[in-house]
Amino acid sequence: MRIEDKLNQLKANNQKAFNVYVPFGYPTIKASRDIVLTLFDNGVDIVELGIPFSDPLADGPIIQEATSVALGGGANVDKMFDFLAQIKEKTDNPIVIMTYFNPVFAYGVTSFFKKMKKVSCSGIMVVDLPLEESQDYLEKTRDYNLEPIFFITPTTSSSRAEKIAKISRGFIYYISVKGTTGPRDLVYPVLKKNIDQLKKITETSICVGFGIHEKKQVQEINKFADGVIIGSEIVSFIAREHKSKGFLAKLGKKVRSLKG
Amino acid sequence: MKLPDKRGYYGSFGGKFVPETLSFCLNELESAYRTALKDKQFKKKVSALLIEYANRPTPLYYAEKLSSKFGMRIYLKREDLLHTGAHKINNALAQAMLAKFMKKPRIIAETGAGQHGVAVATAAGLLGFKCDIYMGAADVSRQSMNVFRMKVLGANVISVNTGSKTLKDACNQAIRDWVSSVDNTYYLIGSTIGPHPYPEMVRNFQSVIGIEARKQILQIRGRLPDFLVACVGGGSNAIGLFYPFYKDSKVKFIGVEAAGLGLMSDNSASLAKGRVGVFQGAKSFLLQDCFGQVKEAHSVAPGLDYPGVGPEHSFYKETKRAEYVTIDDKEALWGFKTLSEIEGIIPALESSHAIAYLKRLAPLNRGKTVIVCLSGRGDKDLNIVMEQLGDK
Repeated sequence: MRIEDKLNQLKANNQKAFNVYVPFGYPTIKASRDIVLTLFDNGVDIVELGIPFSDPLADGPIIQEATSVALGGGANVDKMFDFLAQIKEKTDNPIVIMTYFNPVFAYGVTSFFKKMKKVSCSGIMVVDLPLEESQDYLEKTRDYNLEPIFFITPTTSSSRAEKIAKISRGFIYYISVKGTTGPRDLVYPVLKKNIDQLKKITETSICVGFGIHEKKQVQEINKFADGVIIGSEIVSFIAREHKSKGFLAKLGKKVRSLKG
Repeated sequence: MKLPDKRGYYGSFGGKFVPETLSFCLNELESAYRTALKDKQFKKKVSALLIEYANRPTPLYYAEKLSSKFGMRIYLKREDLLHTGAHKINNALAQAMLAKFMKKPRIIAETGAGQHGVAVATAAGLLGFKCDIYMGAADVSRQSMNVFRMKVLGANVISVNTGSKTLKDACNQAIRDWVSSVDNTYYLIGSTIGPHPYPEMVRNFQSVIGIEARKQILQIRGRLPDFLVACVGGGSNAIGLFYPFYKDSKVKFIGVEAAGLGLMSDNSASLAKGRVGVFQGAKSFLLQDCFGQVKEAHSVAPGLDYPGVGPEHSFYKETKRAEYVTIDDKEALWGFKTLSEIEGIIPALESSHAIAYLKRLAPLNRGKTVIVCLSGRGDKDLNIVMEQLGDK
C-alpha cells in the first residue's frame, strides 16, 4: 500500500496516523521481522524502517546504541531488501525506509530505487539530504514512482517550508524540536502554531516526530496534526525487554498503550 | 572558475548534506561570514590577533642540513612556532572572532589529537566564550596532556563514548549538540571538512600560510618553488599552503596521507584508498565499506586519524591539480627522528609524514626547490614516539 493512500484512508475514517520507527536488524535480523509484524498487528499504521548507519549524527543515544548493535549483527542494505520482500508477503501495510544518505549513495541511487520498486516499498526519507541537495534524487524518485518524504523543523523559514511541502510525498515529517531523537517534553502551543501555519500552505498530511514518548503527547499532537511518529520510546522498550518471556505480546501492549 | 561555487561545490565535491534543522544555521553562518569579510574592523582585529598574539608571520626557514642530505633546496614553513604549537590557532582565532561577530556566547568544537581543541580553548578563553570540546574517549586517554591543557585554559572537555571513540565520533557529537543549541552556540570546525561554508572558511583562514610562504620565497629566492609538500588528514594545513599558489600552475602540490599500518591494512588514506561518499555534511573521498558504512581510520599521528578528507582535496585529486601520496607509520617515525636529529626541530607526527616524503621525492628532483609545511611541533607526540621506538 502507498503512504498517501494509507493517509487518505485514515483521513476518510477520521483517524490519525500512528507511525513507529525501528532500526532494521535490531536486536537481530530475525527478531526485526517479528517486531515489524507485531507493530502492524497492534495498530501501527506505517512502520519507518531505519537503515543502521555507522555515523547517525541526528540520533540520540537510544537509537545510536540500537543501530550499532544492528550493524554488529550484520544488518546491511541487501539483507534489508530481502527482509522487505519477505515482509511484503505477510502484510500490505506501508513501510517507509528511513536512512542517512551515504548507504543509498554507496548502493547507487538508481539501484536502490529499483530494489525499492521491486519489493513494493514506495516511501523513503533521507535524514541528511536537505532541499538544496535533493534535485537529482527527486528526479529519480519520480522515475520509480516513489514517495520521498521530507522534513520541516522549527528552524525552517516559511518560504523554505513552502518549497519542501511541494516536493514531499505521502506526508511531511515535522520535527517537533531542535535536537536529536529521544524522549523529551514538548511545548504544544508553539507546535500547534507551527503546524497550523504549515496547514495553510499545504494539503499534504503532516506527521510529528522526535521526542514523543507518552500517550498524552500523542493525544495532544493529534488535536492539530495528522499523526505522530514514535521512535526511541519503542526502541528503548525493545532494548529492555527483547530477551524477556512473552516479549512480542508485551511489545504489542506497549504500542497499544501509547496509541490510546 | 570560483572555488567553491555558490552551492558550496568544488567540482562535484562538497555541498551541504545536513539534517534540515542545520540548514538554517549554515545559511546564518554563511551570511555572517560574508558580512564579516567586508567589515574592516573584523579583518583588522583578526589580523592583529594573528600577529601580536599568535606570532605571525612564521619564518620560512631554509633547512640547510636537510637540504644537503636530500640534494634539494628545502624550506620549512614554521607553523610549529605559533602560539599553542600548530597551525590550528590561525583558524581558531579567526572563527572565534566570527562567533563574537555573530554574538554567540558559547563555542563548541571537536578534537582528535587535541591540537584543535587546545587552539579553540585558547581562543575561547582569550575572547570570553563558554567552551565545550568534544573528544573521543580513546583520544582522551591517549592525549591526557592536551586534555589537561584544555581544562587549564578553562574549557570543558566532554569524552565521547560512541562509535570508534575517536575524532569522527567527537564530530558527530558536536553536530548533535549544535542541532540542539543553535540559538546560542557557534560550532568551530577545525579542518576543511563538514558542510559548506566550513571548508571554504577554514581554507581562507588557513590561507595565511600560503600567502606568507609565497611572498617569502619570492623575497628569498626571487622565484616560485617547484614543489609544495604538506600532510593531509582533513587537510587544513595543506589547503592553507596550496590554495594561494593555485594559479601558479608550475608549482606542484603534493599532499601526504597517512598509510598507517599499510595501504592493505588500517590506514587513514581517504584519497588513495577511499571511494566518493557523503559524510559529515560533504561529498568527498571516504574510507567506507561496500554498503556505505564508514570505516575506522588509523595513523600513528592522531591528527591524521580521520576517514574523510576535505572536499577541495578531492577536487584537486580529480582535476590532478595536486598529487596525493602516502607515508606509513614507520616512515613517519623516521621523518620525526631525522628532522629532530639533523635540524634540531621536533616535528609533530602529522608533519613528520611530509618530511618523510622528501626521501622519495628527492632522487628524481635534485636541486629543485620545495616548501614543506611544518604544521606543528612534536612535544605532544613524545609519549607515542617513546612507545613506538621502544624507549619506554
